[in-house]
Amino acid sequence: MATDKELSDFLKSVEKRAFKRTAYLVRDEDAALDIVQDAMIRLAENYLERPAAELPPLFQRILSNASMDWFRRQKVRSAVMQNMSDFEPLAGDADFDILELLESRDQTSGAGSPADEVSRAQTLLAIEGEVAQLPTRQREAFLLRYWEEFDVAETASAMGCSEGSVKTHCSRAVHALAKALRAKGITL
Amino acid sequence: MKQVNLRSLGSISQNDLSMGALQNRFGARMGECLTERSEQLPHDVRERLRFSREAALKHAAEVRRAQARPVHGLGLNWVGMGQSAALSGGPEQSPWWLKFVSFVPLLGLVLGLVLIQQGQLYEQILAAADVDTALLADNLPPAAYSDPGFSEYLSSQNE
Repeated sequence: MATDKELSDFLKSVEKRAFKRTAYLVRDEDAALDIVQDAMIRLAENYLERPAAELPPLFQRILSNASMDWFRRQKVRSAVMQNMSDFEPLAGDADFDILELLESRDQTSGAGSPADEVSRAQTLLAIEGEVAQLPTRQREAFLLRYWEEFDVAETASAMGCSEGSVKTHCSRAVHALAKALRAKGITL
Repeated sequence: MKQVNLRSLGSISQNDLSMGALQNRFGARMGECLTERSEQLPHDVRERLRFSREAALKHAAEVRRAQARPVHGLGLNWVGMGQSAALSGGPEQSPWWLKFVSFVPLLGLVLGLVLIQQGQLYEQILAAADVDTALLADNLPPAAYSDPGFSEYLSSQNE
């Protein structure tokens, strides 16, 4: 059973990411805050007897369900869940794009001047914008896999799909992001 | 501002890394950037998240209290809830007089049932006494009703 401290630490560690992910999904900060609060309370009320190690996947599942409940209330779920860009073909030189993005940053200096700070903030904002523009399932898979640091099986379980689908979504998301960032001249 | 340390990864050769490893490395870098961005949330959003967290912890504490509360009989449990609501707000031991007071309604019910039973018994005794008085006060002796000739007389009178 998770103790109060374990629950508090877990919620504190996950709350910002949960808010951001939900805000990307519903595109409404107030609604995202309500959904995150709802998910936190559902977790605290119904899953206290579970060990602390089980809280992350449980919370992601509850958060997804709370988001879907919100969409049902808003009557726009179908419009959000369907995005034809999932079927776009991959770029032939996408693997080179990724390598180029990763390597080019290694050659730059990490100076912390005000201009660099502003530039860095703008870069982060642009990256966030590109992530927000990903198709819903791709973004969910990408964020669970690389931001929440779930493995493929955990991501598949949280999303309610197969591991193959997770790999496909992640691959497409990575290639789409790499292509978009290169087009903007952004390096990581 | 925190800078993502990319140089620590060393040089990356296209020949050395598989596509999956490249994707993982790219995803990790993106995750770092998103984490850095999420640390810049506005103050009101951070406060709202803190409030949500505290509300969830408060619910968790209530659930734990409800699970830890001992199960009593109906009467004692009622007293315990009354006491926790009115006095302390927690599951403490009830004083003896509160336990005694919880039995007062039960005692009143038993006493009322006994009184009702005694009243009905007294009314039955009074009714039997009235019948006896009427029979004894009549000119006809009660033994006459057991006489077959008198019964025949009564039936002929009715016809």
